[in-house]
Amino acid sequence: MNLRRLIIWSIIGTGISSITTQLLTIREFLTQFHGNEITISLVLFSWLLLTGLGSLAAKPFERFPLGVYALLTCIIALWPLAQLVVIREFRDALFIHGASPGFYPIFFYIIITVSPYCLLTGFILPCAQKTLNTRHFTFGSGDLYLTDSIGDITGGVLFSYVLVYWVKPFPAIALTSTVLILVSLLLLLKSRNYILFLIAILFGSFFYYYSTNNRFEKHTLAGQYGNVVRYLESPYGRIVVSKKGNEHTFWESGTPFYSDLNIISSEERIHYALCQMDRVQNVLLVSGGLGDSLTEALKYNPAYIDYVELDPYLTDTALQLNVLKKAPCLEIVNTDGRRYIETTEKRYDAIIVGLPDPDTFQINRFFTSEFFSHAKNALKTGGILSISIEYAPNYISKIRKMKISTIYNTARLHFKNVMVLPGEEAYFLCRDGPLWSDIPARLKLKSISTSYIEGFFYGNVTKERIRQLKGNLDRNEFINTDFEPRLMNLVLKEWFTKYGTSTKYFLFGLAAFTLIYLIFIKREEYILFSTGLATMGVEMLIIFTFQVIYGYIYLKIGAIVTCFLLGLLPGAIIGNIRGYKDKANLALSEMLILFMLFLFFMWTAHYRNELHPMYFLVYCFLFSFLCGFQFPVVAGLIGEKRSPAAGCFSADLCGASVGTFIVGTILIPLWGIQFAIIFLIMVKVSSSIIILFFTKTRSLV
Amino acid sequence: MIRMMTRKEFIKSIGLGASALFCSGMGYGFLGNENKITKNIRGRIFKNDGPESPWKWSMEGFHYATDGRTVQCQVCPNRCILEPGDRSICRSKVNIGGKLYSLAYGNPCSVHVDPIEKKPLNHFYPGSLIFSIATTGCNFRCLNCQNWEISQKKPEEVRHIELFPADVVREAKRRDVPAIAYTYSEPITFYEYMYDTSRSAREAGLRNVIVSNGYINRDPLIRLCKYLDGANVNLKSFEDGIYRGLNGGTIQPVLNTFKTLHQEGVWFEITTLVVPTYVDKPEMIKRMCGWILKELGPDYPLHFLRFFPRYKLTRLPATPVETLELLRDLALKEGIRYVYLGNVPGHEGIHTYCHNCHKILIERKGYNISKFNLENGHCKFCGTAIPGRWG
Repeated sequence: MNLRRLIIWSIIGTGISSITTQLLTIREFLTQFHGNEITISLVLFSWLLLTGLGSLAAKPFERFPLGVYALLTCIIALWPLAQLVVIREFRDALFIHGASPGFYPIFFYIIITVSPYCLLTGFILPCAQKTLNTRHFTFGSGDLYLTDSIGDITGGVLFSYVLVYWVKPFPAIALTSTVLILVSLLLLLKSRNYILFLIAILFGSFFYYYSTNNRFEKHTLAGQYGNVVRYLESPYGRIVVSKKGNEHTFWESGTPFYSDLNIISSEERIHYALCQMDRVQNVLLVSGGLGDSLTEALKYNPAYIDYVELDPYLTDTALQLNVLKKAPCLEIVNTDGRRYIETTEKRYDAIIVGLPDPDTFQINRFFTSEFFSHAKNALKTGGILSISIEYAPNYISKIRKMKISTIYNTARLHFKNVMVLPGEEAYFLCRDGPLWSDIPARLKLKSISTSYIEGFFYGNVTKERIRQLKGNLDRNEFINTDFEPRLMNLVLKEWFTKYGTSTKYFLFGLAAFTLIYLIFIKREEYILFSTGLATMGVEMLIIFTFQVIYGYIYLKIGAIVTCFLLGLLPGAIIGNIRGYKDKANLALSEMLILFMLFLFFMWTAHYRNELHPMYFLVYCFLFSFLCGFQFPVVAGLIGEKRSPAAGCFSADLCGASVGTFIVGTILIPLWGIQFAIIFLIMVKVSSSIIILFFTKTRSLV
Repeated sequence: MIRMMTRKEFIKSIGLGASALFCSGMGYGFLGNENKITKNIRGRIFKNDGPESPWKWSMEGFHYATDGRTVQCQVCPNRCILEPGDRSICRSKVNIGGKLYSLAYGNPCSVHVDPIEKKPLNHFYPGSLIFSIATTGCNFRCLNCQNWEISQKKPEEVRHIELFPADVVREAKRRDVPAIAYTYSEPITFYEYMYDTSRSAREAGLRNVIVSNGYINRDPLIRLCKYLDGANVNLKSFEDGIYRGLNGGTIQPVLNTFKTLHQEGVWFEITTLVVPTYVDKPEMIKRMCGWILKELGPDYPLHFLRFFPRYKLTRLPATPVETLELLRDLALKEGIRYVYLGNVPGHEGIHTYCHNCHKILIERKGYNISKFNLENGHCKFCGTAIPGRWG
């Protein structure tokens, strides 16, 4: 294979490996830290920013020796395994075992652990072009972008649709690094670095030995989970079951969400709701159905219990371990609970939601006005809905008061009666019929015996405590809706309060960094910066909107992400051929981006109805098409003589990182989806103005 | 031009590389899964964070030293040295003009009536109710605190009601509750309020109970003991490292508190939250029981509580009930006469058994008592005197 081809393959290999490593690293961080929307955005932000900075670092190099390039590709190929091991093992060295760190420690940990890899992968792409150019091969920045996109798409599709179902993270790394390892070895031979070649073979052997060794991978988890009896990587996250003595703990993405013999939670969740009913025939459990919950529900002799759980891996494992006991009346439905409630034709006496506090867009959908409306439709006349959030019985803080009031006000829009019981959690019982707060009396009436409620209820859920909680409900608090997730904002605020921190310093740093960066970049690069920002922002908004409408179904969300990746490729091809150096085409693409943002805004403002998913997929494809189109055009306008690749890549990636954080953690939770789109429109208007008024390349300011 | 390595250099390089890999692999293996805590999460003094003047709910400190400018609080072993304007680790004490003031006096943020068993106190007037109050503040930083919204806040940061000592007593009497508990957050941080209230309560014939981490100096404790009737004190672990890493304190002052309470004749019960991977080691519990037996004797009840993920300690599982049972058996075997399990509804470990004839003395269904086989503090079956305060 000639050198040109080898380097092109190394770019593709880097794309395949890096996108898989990115996805695996995000999943890893979500299991290491609390996977709320802030953490998700923080990982993406850090990743994109560091990769962008890596690209920027390549800017001063005019020539690049082949030997160094080969060595760097080899390191990039082997590094992902070390990165995952380091993330898993060093967590307990830096933080207290079992404790969840706050915003800044998480941020610094992410930066420390991913920076070598991200900086290198960002650095290597412009270097690939320079290595080729050094050897007088023609390879423009548009070609580079296009080739990288091929790698990214291949890696993304391979991981999201194949590997995630079949292999665990370490073997996935082994598989997706193979192209790059082979190419880097050939490059080392080409550059006649035989010693390095042999060392690379040695390290490569170690790499494959450890990455395919199942015991090694399990061992890296033992520190966090203890005695692991099941370890599964599902498309939705990591499921681990640990066991001590005879008791199981189920962990989902690093958080223990079920432990055997937790009778308090099971009894409260089931009986507070079901004892209100005169007859219980049909029950729907949305999550939280493991262990004793089902046993408690069966005490009412229902005709059937439908248990909806998103992840089939979870219910399958629970069935195998007898944590979920089979019963003739039990039907397990593995789908998105919200979507199920919207579409089911069954009508229930009770719907019991057992989800954690809404700290992600996905969970927020179960606490919105739209959800309460759908839930009411799925209930029989006089049926009951129960939903709960975290609660501290001895003092109701300001934020908790706001949270409870928001849910209360939102539920009251749809139910005549809403009662909040201050148990271990705050239970919201919503019904058009009567509600009783004396739960033990109701249970006595039904001759149902319990271990916790019978003995503890009157001491813990006293009339005085119920009265105090009721007195704290503020009717002026916000309503939580799908597109304005106020409750999620409160949950995130509470998370910051817990650690006594705020994003103030981070945002100040981000603003300062962005400002300095914008001062030094070229005007054309700002266009890519703004497009990167808008594209990531739109991607987050679309995923957010899509899951509100269609539910959180892995393959559907995967299709959205894939469309965003796929659009880049034809965009870059056409930009390379037709739009190269053409300012008018660039202006046209800017107008089209603005038009698409405006279209999205109009839809959210006036329509919001269910569209066929194809519309979303086409929208994503077209948006990323325009993004892909702009890169070669901008690079052409700057001129290949000025080596635009590094600057353009960094602008694109830095813009994407800023967009991720601003949209995901600030704009949507604070001001809702429409404001977020307006912000993106303003950003793109600013770049359009620059296109219309700039005459020649110069710094932005 | 690339200089070729000699064969010797090559072999040396390979050998070094392989050794490095081998050593790192071995090192990785030795990392193990033991939780060796080297961190200390002790709180810090809040510099220039105090108010300029005392507010309505202030009281000059009872135990402090001053040179006219700098003050040192002497209530708890943190012994915060505060410059004018500084705020203590517990967030309740401030230096205003060279004097130490408590900002938590007459301003409880949490007021409830609870069953006495909720504290938990199983040998202290069982079945009775207790009027429970708390202001903000804590001298610890426990990662699993279930009341963090008050314990880790300043008095000015929460909503409170006004209830000065005389009002507390009046309110307890109005509700016909025979005792007052200083609880939820850490009462040592509102020492002055607790002391004055307990003195008034004693005069009014009410009992006083403190629920505490026991992190208090001897002098203020002895002064308080005059009015204390009962206590539940946490013994969070029996290792200083765990105290530093999970709670931000040290163990010795807590052990001293137990000894002082014992010497002063205050009835107390000991609570240990069994935090998985930290406080669940039988060897440590065995040492702990040994110390209790030697210094305090076998009569003070020991409560093992089941841990559930809370506050910042959310990545540990709930304590397996089997572990709790194992520790209970161990403690009983070591010679502690009354060992209870908490947070495990329906478990037999919540009943009181006679240490002599092993029959059930108090059968509990949660906070309710279904059987009471005590007569004047003696076992109804064998007549053995049962330690506690029975009324």
